[in-house]
Amino acid sequence: MTADSHDCEPGPDDGESADDDGVGGILRGDGGQVGTPFDTTADVRETRWDRYGRAIDGYIRMPLTIMRQDWRSIVGLSIVAVYLLMGTVLTWTVEPTRTGDGPQFVQPFETWEYPLGTNEMGQDLFAQTVHSTGPVLTMMASGALFTVVMGTFFGLVAGYKGGEVDTVLSSITDVFINIPGLPLVIVLSVLFEPTHPISVGILLAVAAWAGLARAIRSQVLAIRDESFVEAARMMDVPTPELLIKEILPHLMPYIMVNLVNAARTIIFSAVALYYLGVLPFADANWGVMLNQAYHAGAIYRPDATHWLVVPMVAIAGISIGLLLIAQSLDRVFNPRVRARHADTGDAEDGDGTEPGSTEMMKQV
Amino acid sequence: MNWKIRRLGQAVFTVWAVVTISFAMVRLMPGNPVDYFITIVGPDLADPSQAYELAELYLNINPEEPLPVAYVDYMTSTLQGDLGQSMIYNEPVTEVLAGAIPWTLFVMSWAIFLSFAVGISLGAIMAYWEGSKVDVGLTAYATILTSIPFYVLALVMLIYLSYRWSVFPVGGRAAAELEPGFHWVYIKSVVHHAILPVLSMFVASGAASLSMRGNSIRVLGEDYLRVARLCGLSDTTIAVQYVGRNAILPMYTGLMISIGSMFGGAVVLEQIFQYRGMGWYLLNAVNQRDYPLMMGAFMMITIAVVIALLIADLTYGRIDPRAGTEDREAF
Amino acid sequence: MTMTTTDLTDRSEDVIMEVSNARVSFGMERGRARVLNDVSMDVRRGEILGVMGESGSGKSMFADALLDAVVDPGVLQGELTYYPGDGEPIDLLSLSEEERRRYRWEDVAMVFQGAMSSFNPVRKIRTHFVDTLNAHDYDVDRGLERAKDLLGDLYLDADRVLDSYPHELSGGMKQRILIALSLVLDPEMLVMDEPTAALDLLMQRSIIALIEEIQSKHDLTIVFITHDIPLVAGLADRLAVLYAFEFIELGPADDVLAEPAHPYTRALLRTTPNLETPLEEMRPIEGSSPDPVNIPSGCSYHPRCPMADDQCREVDPEPYRVDDDHIAHCHHWDEAIEEESPVAVGGDDRTPTRAYVGPDGEDAEDPLVSLDDVEVHFEQKSGGLLSRAEPETVAAVDGVDIDIHENDTVVLVGESGCGKTTLGKVAVGAQRPTGGSVSYRGQDVWDAKDMLGGVSIPFEEIRRALQIIHQDPGSSLNSHRRVRAILETPLRRWFPELDGNDRIQRILGMLEYVGISPPEDYIERYPHQLSGGEKQRITLIRSMLMDPELILADEAVSALDVSLRVEMMDLMIELQEQFDTSFLFISHNLSNARYLAEKTGGRIAVMYLGEIVEIGTVDRIINDPQHPYTQALKWATPDLDPDDEIETADSPIRTIDIPDPSNPPSGCRYHTRCAKAREVCRVETPELIEADEGPGHQRAACFRAYDDHAYWNSEPIVEGPSEE
Repeated sequence: MTADSHDCEPGPDDGESADDDGVGGILRGDGGQVGTPFDTTADVRETRWDRYGRAIDGYIRMPLTIMRQDWRSIVGLSIVAVYLLMGTVLTWTVEPTRTGDGPQFVQPFETWEYPLGTNEMGQDLFAQTVHSTGPVLTMMASGALFTVVMGTFFGLVAGYKGGEVDTVLSSITDVFINIPGLPLVIVLSVLFEPTHPISVGILLAVAAWAGLARAIRSQVLAIRDESFVEAARMMDVPTPELLIKEILPHLMPYIMVNLVNAARTIIFSAVALYYLGVLPFADANWGVMLNQAYHAGAIYRPDATHWLVVPMVAIAGISIGLLLIAQSLDRVFNPRVRARHADTGDAEDGDGTEPGSTEMMKQV
Repeated sequence: MNWKIRRLGQAVFTVWAVVTISFAMVRLMPGNPVDYFITIVGPDLADPSQAYELAELYLNINPEEPLPVAYVDYMTSTLQGDLGQSMIYNEPVTEVLAGAIPWTLFVMSWAIFLSFAVGISLGAIMAYWEGSKVDVGLTAYATILTSIPFYVLALVMLIYLSYRWSVFPVGGRAAAELEPGFHWVYIKSVVHHAILPVLSMFVASGAASLSMRGNSIRVLGEDYLRVARLCGLSDTTIAVQYVGRNAILPMYTGLMISIGSMFGGAVVLEQIFQYRGMGWYLLNAVNQRDYPLMMGAFMMITIAVVIALLIADLTYGRIDPRAGTEDREAF
Repeated sequence: MTMTTTDLTDRSEDVIMEVSNARVSFGMERGRARVLNDVSMDVRRGEILGVMGESGSGKSMFADALLDAVVDPGVLQGELTYYPGDGEPIDLLSLSEEERRRYRWEDVAMVFQGAMSSFNPVRKIRTHFVDTLNAHDYDVDRGLERAKDLLGDLYLDADRVLDSYPHELSGGMKQRILIALSLVLDPEMLVMDEPTAALDLLMQRSIIALIEEIQSKHDLTIVFITHDIPLVAGLADRLAVLYAFEFIELGPADDVLAEPAHPYTRALLRTTPNLETPLEEMRPIEGSSPDPVNIPSGCSYHPRCPMADDQCREVDPEPYRVDDDHIAHCHHWDEAIEEESPVAVGGDDRTPTRAYVGPDGEDAEDPLVSLDDVEVHFEQKSGGLLSRAEPETVAAVDGVDIDIHENDTVVLVGESGCGKTTLGKVAVGAQRPTGGSVSYRGQDVWDAKDMLGGVSIPFEEIRRALQIIHQDPGSSLNSHRRVRAILETPLRRWFPELDGNDRIQRILGMLEYVGISPPEDYIERYPHQLSGGEKQRITLIRSMLMDPELILADEAVSALDVSLRVEMMDLMIELQEQFDTSFLFISHNLSNARYLAEKTGGRIAVMYLGEIVEIGTVDRIINDPQHPYTQALKWATPDLDPDDEIETADSPIRTIDIPDPSNPPSGCRYHTRCAKAREVCRVETPELIEADEGPGHQRAACFRAYDDHAYWNSEPIVEGPSEE
């Protein structure tokens, strides 16, 4: 569309007058003479800092700039930051609570000593919640990472390689898609009895990666046929590099969104399993709190309701935070949005990214 | 249709894989049930060698047999419907579970049907009034609903609707004093008991409505919609036959994926509502370390999901005429 | 100076649609964009009005305006009056919603270019017709009868088509169905917006011929909008040229083509490759079309116009009357018209810019790339157990031999689906043939890859030597990487001794060389910040940076604007000379093929359903095609001669639609469409044989090339013409 590209007129001399004296007149560098643009080398060395500078700009500064402009990411990041704070600083400063620390069933927001109240055993629910955060976050991170790494690997390799590799990997994926996640995890937990948060996370992820793998595979199938992938193959770019540099960036938005969503799934199932008492209790966590509250009859005791509500709010809170981040992440990876925030090309980036006008331009 | 046969083959393959995984879990993994019989149960018995017979009786695996033979025996008996003997009920696992299956299917099918029906309608409404207050409000509502795990919602409803306000029963499949049968009082009680579990599953409709919204908005930009509008087709035709039908197609895959997770969720829900379905038995078995029943329930739930997915997949062709040709490579 | 177009045209003409001062505008971040700038136009009853313009000239907006169907957020202003054959004039912009719904399709209907996606994928074609008839309260049975007639007129098997789902039909069929759908309510006027843009040459030409028939049969007024001038040259009664959202010239088609009065029209005609115009008269238009937000003051064409003076820069030219019925918006139209006509008909004394490299007979040097009996059969790819596909073998390429020499140029021509892209990919080692062999300087490419036998040239070396330029510049650049990273990739891989600064220097040099400046600015851009022409230049540089021996250019210009094509082709030809590469071009367009092959002294190879049916020098292929298929392609290639009336009667093909490639016809594959086919063609398969001209110059796979062959005694295949 020319309308999209007003800013880029071809140069006045488009190299049309080739056979005469222009650049073309200079000897070709087939014999070592430096002449064509082919053989140019620079007289200044590139420093390491130049490279680092570019990397920092591309991977840290720009995403932050973009995210700063979206309320969803601000709220989402703030929520997650609060949880991170609870998992680190607060865990060190807030004393762990023990049975009999305080009176039974102090209601929340009554005293500063027990801001979220206490449970049947007189334990401070605030301290319990805070000390649960660390293990829960670890579980979440390990599970989400495992899900995404497995899903991406299976999807990427199956989709790109095709053939036998695809058949094998896809069949494995299909089996795992068909097995309902929670029952599988329940059976596995009974057999393995994992206690460390990381192993719990990974165990829970076993049931979660397959859907992602299939979705990524179908996206890779589409990207694989794009001309730029073939061009890279024609340049003999090694397959791992091709997968990582050419294909993966296109999947990144999807993968990141799924990373965040996988984190939510992991928390949901972890808490469910602790609540059901399937996973062995090691540390306190929100699921364990729910389980204790349930077994103490908090469901039908009005004075104990907050015992259930506190962990529920904790779960819902981080879930909303993650959801908002997932929704805003999409923008970070969109090159159109990125380009607008780059220091170059900013001034003349007038490609009509406003939603209405792009639609309009299609009609022109 | 060739792919239908392949799809059937895939389902068979999955069942086979699940049985094999089960065998591996029961026999090979550290702390496996067979070892449990030999190391934990065995020493308590008068004759420790009886442990092997017990293992064979309950788990269908004779620890003395070489692995391949044991595997073949296990596979054969499983495929014949013999899932071993429940330790707590002392009945064949199949019999214990047979009474539970219809209840789970009953609750699950209603939950799936309702959440998708509601999700699709809500999503279509949001897309139709895209950007309006209705849209923003519903989107926020759906987003928040999606953020809350369904069991949290179930617990909240249980606390308030059942325990505090006594609108619904606190648990069970039907009022215990009633004689089961096809009479009005019983059916009413059954429906009454199922309402809360089904409602809890509504959480999924949040996600469904959001994806329906996205799909509809995408369809609204298609060329054929422009042609339909210029042709002067009525708004109803356009909304239902053009936007609706095409936006629902991708949802079908989502539906398939969520069948699996909903069956998984049934385990938690049945526990919360003390609803004696397959999930409830699974958990009961877990808590009492009734390995045969646990593995049996796991396999039954998996097979139910496999069949549900198979049906969903095979019927996809009815709503999308392109099914069966979509992968066709044009060169 | 307040003359309008309307004043200038003869009011006695029977006008069906009067457009005056129509304007479409919408808000953008950068300002208010005017994508139709106060245009006026009278459409006369019963005429075919051709509207031509490049993309971004506002031609689709004009089409939309005629139906008051401008898409949000665009706003249409001005006056549009429709004069029905009987009844009161209708003021379009004051219609109620319901009246407008009825006006569209009952009075004026429209055919778009996107036929592939113009039908609801989940509904049968019949339902589309029924819905439309119902929506307008027409009698469904009678309407369907009419639809069947229309489909029949368009050479479609009405019953089969009506019961098909859209995905079961080819693009050409869908496009014809869309035409039938637009006529089912018997409108008086039809607006066609690039109705053939996505179609093959033969299909294009056939549809154009059908449009003429339908127009006379149904007393239609047609507004035909296109970027392809030769396409409308023989079709339109009057031609209007759009530039920068305004009409700049309007007149009888003959006058506009023979004596264009606006410099832009002249330039456009000169830059349009065709089979007739001598190459030395073809030249690109400098510069690019203006941005809708920032239209130059005065004459909008002045920045690109060689005749522009101060008056042009300041005063927007009003219409000048060139002739009775011919107007031009140019202050200097009288000077412009003095110049030699851009359409020279029949320039016979053409000399190729470069001489033909030589026959690929036995005396030729060793070929660079040699394809021997290459066969590519696609098996349906599996992809896990969930794939919903029926396995099916499609022979994309079947037994092709071809040699490409150093500094050689071969242009593969054929319809889509004929396997030309697959063959091209086999030639550059991007696709493994399922049969036969490809060798690079005598080394079998795939043996080198698999390390079979004694490998004299390592696969790496072959990989570097054979490169590709893709059709769609949009998808050939990774949208997530900046130009810098894209162009660094080949250098990193092949010139590891260069450090970052060296690479940048080299890239900057190349960018400058192909006319992208300032290069420092461009290397930091993402592909979406580049124009189509620039993207294509970047891909060209990317492959050149590998210093290749052979480049496959797959439809490398067809995605570009008409005015940029010649420029891009020239650039490629120039780079070929500079860097001693060979080119394998792929084109569906005989005009472009002729341009490329003639300028480089190369050959043209014509493919049909996986086979090469004719190959030879430009001169032979264009001027004396032996194979009936090549002749058909030549027939289908429109030229600028307005007297070239197209009739389906002289159509050299018997059926419009290409046979299913997964089930190719027996014998000569072309016999199902060939007007000269005889019974023997059904059973016997012709070989490529030398035509008279001496070795290497021309070979054709047709029995007609033999003087004594059973063909001449065989019965002609008699079927009803053009039935599927």
